[in-house]
Amino acid sequence: MLQEKYKTEIDEILSRYPVRRSAMLPLLTMAQREEGYVSEAAMKEIASILRVTPPQVYETVTFYTMLNLKPIGTFHIQVCKSLMCALVGSDSLLVWLQARLGIKPGETTPDRLFTLSTVECLASCGTGPMMQVNDDYYERLTEEKVDRILADLKRDGTSPLKSGPFILPEPEGAHG
Amino acid sequence: MVKLTIDGVPITAPKGTLVIEAARQAGIMIPHFCYHPKLKWDANCRMCLVEIERVPKLQTSCSTPVAEGMVVRTATTAVTQAHKSVLEFILANHPLDCPVCDQGGRCDLQDFSHEYTPTTSRFIEVKRIFPKEYFSALIETQMNRCVQCLRCVRYCDEVMDVKALAPAGRGTMTEIKHFTHHELDCEFCGGCVQICPVGAITSRLSMYEYRPWMLKRADTICTYCGDGCQITIQTKENKLIEVNTAHGAGRNNGDLCARGFFGYHASTHPDRLQHPLVRRNGELVQATWEEALGFVAETCIRLKMEHGAEAFAGLIASRCTNEDLYVFQKFMRLAIGTNRIDSSARYGQINGVRALRRVQGTHRWAVTFEDIVAADALLLVGTNITETNPITGLKVKEAVKKRTATLLTVDALVPAVGTISNIANLAAHHFPVHPDRFGHVVLGLIKAVVEDGLVDQALAHRAPAYVQAIGDAVQALSWPALESATGTTSGALREAARIFARAARGVVLVGQGVLRSPGGYGLTTNLLDLLLLTGQHGRPGCGLAPLAEENNDQGAVEMGTVAEYLPGPCDLNDPTARERIAGLWKEELPKGPGRTLTETLEEARTGKVKAMFVVGENPVGSLPHAARAKDALAQLELLVCQELFLTETAALAHVVLPACSYAEKDGSFTNTEGLVQPVRRAIEPIGESRPDWEILSALSVLMGYPIEYGDAKEILKEIRSLIPGYGLLGAGPNPPRPDEAVVSRYLREGYAEDLANRYAATQPTEKRTGHFTLLVTQSLFHSGKFSTRSTGLLEIQNTGVLGLNPADAARLGVTDGDRVRVSNTLGELTAPIKLLERIPEGLAVFPEHFDEEARRLLGVSTDPQTRVPYCKSAQVVIEKL
Amino acid sequence: MAKSLKSWLKTITFYEILVGMKATLKHLLHYKPITLQYPHEKRTLPDSYRGMLALLRYDDGTEKCVGCDLCEAACPSRVIKVVSAEVPGEPTKRYAKEYYMDMTRCLFCGLCVDACPVDALGMTREYEWAVYDKRQLYLNKQQLLAIGDRSFPVREKKLELQHLNVAFFNVAFKHLPPKEG
Repeated sequence: MLQEKYKTEIDEILSRYPVRRSAMLPLLTMAQREEGYVSEAAMKEIASILRVTPPQVYETVTFYTMLNLKPIGTFHIQVCKSLMCALVGSDSLLVWLQARLGIKPGETTPDRLFTLSTVECLASCGTGPMMQVNDDYYERLTEEKVDRILADLKRDGTSPLKSGPFILPEPEGAHG
Repeated sequence: MVKLTIDGVPITAPKGTLVIEAARQAGIMIPHFCYHPKLKWDANCRMCLVEIERVPKLQTSCSTPVAEGMVVRTATTAVTQAHKSVLEFILANHPLDCPVCDQGGRCDLQDFSHEYTPTTSRFIEVKRIFPKEYFSALIETQMNRCVQCLRCVRYCDEVMDVKALAPAGRGTMTEIKHFTHHELDCEFCGGCVQICPVGAITSRLSMYEYRPWMLKRADTICTYCGDGCQITIQTKENKLIEVNTAHGAGRNNGDLCARGFFGYHASTHPDRLQHPLVRRNGELVQATWEEALGFVAETCIRLKMEHGAEAFAGLIASRCTNEDLYVFQKFMRLAIGTNRIDSSARYGQINGVRALRRVQGTHRWAVTFEDIVAADALLLVGTNITETNPITGLKVKEAVKKRTATLLTVDALVPAVGTISNIANLAAHHFPVHPDRFGHVVLGLIKAVVEDGLVDQALAHRAPAYVQAIGDAVQALSWPALESATGTTSGALREAARIFARAARGVVLVGQGVLRSPGGYGLTTNLLDLLLLTGQHGRPGCGLAPLAEENNDQGAVEMGTVAEYLPGPCDLNDPTARERIAGLWKEELPKGPGRTLTETLEEARTGKVKAMFVVGENPVGSLPHAARAKDALAQLELLVCQELFLTETAALAHVVLPACSYAEKDGSFTNTEGLVQPVRRAIEPIGESRPDWEILSALSVLMGYPIEYGDAKEILKEIRSLIPGYGLLGAGPNPPRPDEAVVSRYLREGYAEDLANRYAATQPTEKRTGHFTLLVTQSLFHSGKFSTRSTGLLEIQNTGVLGLNPADAARLGVTDGDRVRVSNTLGELTAPIKLLERIPEGLAVFPEHFDEEARRLLGVSTDPQTRVPYCKSAQVVIEKL
Repeated sequence: MAKSLKSWLKTITFYEILVGMKATLKHLLHYKPITLQYPHEKRTLPDSYRGMLALLRYDDGTEKCVGCDLCEAACPSRVIKVVSAEVPGEPTKRYAKEYYMDMTRCLFCGLCVDACPVDALGMTREYEWAVYDKRQLYLNKQQLLAIGDRSFPVREKKLELQHLNVAFFNVAFKHLPPKEG
């Protein structure tokens, strides 16, 4: 059904790559944008578009933490568990989050508000421990800060504690 | 060549050799997990680290090619330390469950751990655990044991081209899965089981039945197709436990298909006949060997007195060993005195052999599997090679994937990616045509060769009349007619013809779709014409290769168990050959005519043939109802069957004699490329069964024409004395060169006799709307009816499922698993359906192994020249039930 | 003279014989029989006594044996025959479907007990196994477990799934929570 809905877009994506299967990630991103996660049907369809087998698509999806195999909650909390954050206490942060939300990594709260997962380095090593909620970074986290963020998210859907906005897209006049 | 030193040993190796291979050749074993000579190196396990002089750090020997003057050390302190650390990391997660692991006792990790690690680990962390579900009916995984070398995944992709295994997840949590939580659905070649260095992937079929040290091994040959793969049957207390094969062993080089790897239980099926059966008061009852053989001999002598030797006929399956086949024809010719012998090579193989003999004077391929791998252009006609001859298919895949050969395919199936490989996916040009129009594509190719000036100059010079005649014949065909028949463009045909003609080495593989279909003989001859015209014929490494379906089709022809040949094969009426054979046998050969399978059945029906010996063949179960084999055999006064199981034919017999399967006897099989390979006994005969030749030998004694041998080797010795240069049991075949005298005769006059017929583009019967073409074909998971007794293969496929194109199914309003009624004027059948994208619209495919019902629908036609019965397709109507 | 008298006295009193028979005579006087009245009286067995073999269970009543065949491999006189199989419903978990011991051939060497990776075999202190029909000494799994039950009433705790640094062993991982990720 992706093909029916996004025919031109898929053709455009395919035209970008000399090797057909290189279009896998853009197509998977498209599938995730469509449903919020990558469904089995989507993987099969992408396999047939790219002329690869479904297991080959599946292995790609499982490699990337940005691609979800299950429906996720409104707020996808991704806690960095790589070395730098671990050294400054990401594990205790994770335990705190688990206790607050009552779920383990990989799970979604029953109210479908929060999904917790652990991810590899998010390139914010100087300001660890940190997490990413949907597309926003939250850095130099402490337990109190996490509680405030969770409360803000629940109430407003966003939190003033998030970092940024970053300079992408570049602010006007950056180059004079 | 590059000179280097490994551990002080000077070595020369060809450029590009990897250090690990060079060391292996010098007898130095470098431990490794992820490296395998069949696969591209991945260097992910880090076990094969070695020290190379002037390289600051340790290098992975599996990814480092040799270089001039390289000095490699494999046993220094640094290397040993590295081995220790790597193993410590692997063992940090690998469970110590060797006692319950099927790999225990032959595990690389076990061996290396003993050799390189201290007995304790510094890791106190909790080991990684994966939850476990059943993986599939035949292949089981235990991911806790996985060392993540990814050999299985790479094998599945690189060698098998199946891509059914996925390394899901990342880091230590990577596990081998199929597709999400689905059970494995693939070719079940067992390659992942064999290639796993640890016990992470094991066979469910023999799970926990054995420990490696308990097993007895016998190297023998698989009987499930003509490829002739070497298998090692492992037995424990006379029970078949498992089958495997070693890298580098046999023509299959360590690869197997589902049939070879999982099909071995058929030999010990509980339904095996254990005692002779004799018909008394209309029922088959158990008898002793003395009673049964005495009765047969007595009746034979009586019938011979009453009706003469010409009232006898014999039929043998080409699944028997060469020794069985040879003794059978000798028994029929001497003890009985008739030439009315035929075998199941008649079903198709004879078309290929007759064409080869006619054009190039050989009865074997002029090419080998190595030539297929080394070919530049491969033309596959009418063969779903990955299902019928999977290992030859692997050679084609290797040629295309590793040697970048250009593949041209002509087949009914269309390219579709799935977890069962499909050779059309690899084709540079695929011509998907209706199964009765393969000939049109070949004519198109020949026309393109002639018109585009691709005809070999030497040939044009040598046989101008031949080139002219063929040129005239193809000029008479019009491009639009060919285009409409084949559904392709003349441009594509021209391009394909150009690729094939310009290739340095071209090989044509022709399969069941041609050999077992109407016009098979003529089309095979046309393909030889194509080879001749493009100059590919006679060049080393080029030629035509008809693919045998049964394991000893080739042997059946060579042993003279077909109507037209004496052992050799020599023509039945060739006086010099007759004289030579009579001299060796010290007995006159019978003068009577040979009769083919269909002719014999006809003669039985009219009462001319009164008695028949049927060895392992099952005409009632193989031919469609329209052939009325049952009526014919029911007329006989004596029907003797030597069988493994009580088949449809054996059920009609007056005497049924229990024969040994291939696992219980010694002998030899000749594979499709003409290599005679030894078959060795793995278990004792089941019940009172005996090898076929022993039964015939005992009968001959009772009939007063003793044909006696001590063992199978003596028979082979006699065969060798009879056929010059026969059966040099070497590692590879020594293909015959085309006989130039025969080629010249063909070019001079031989081609002309049926030229008009062969080059006539018969107007294909227009398909009536709503009609499907039903094809009864071989499936990847079965071979004949024997494999349908194998528990393992039945796990994968246990019923006849009709394959349909999804679009057709949508039109019929049915979906996967629905039952449909398939019918035509001859009969009807109901079957569940399976949607397969590889099946083109208008086609329905049914496996011949479950065709009890489907055989009602099929008609029979006979080849006018080779008398091959064609009965594999029918026009049918399909309705939703 | 005195010396000859002394020797003469020793001669007539059979002194040397008395010396030689000292132990005998002492026992003659303090009579205490050594022979045990066997069925009524039994000897105390040494701690390391190797008697009848038995299969053991864990404290929850499950069999310890995982059907690994190592006892069969270790046995020098081919006493043991193990038929192992997968536990139905629990993928890749192994157990001994059948287990036989032909005790007529057993040497009681204890190598099987040493070989067992899960301590499923024990040597009991039973030795009264005289039978009229030696076929009765061909024991199956139920009989061996019964011997274990009566001889080892105190059972070991089941191995934990994860034993630090050792192994997790023959566990069907079917009912574990799904992994994180």
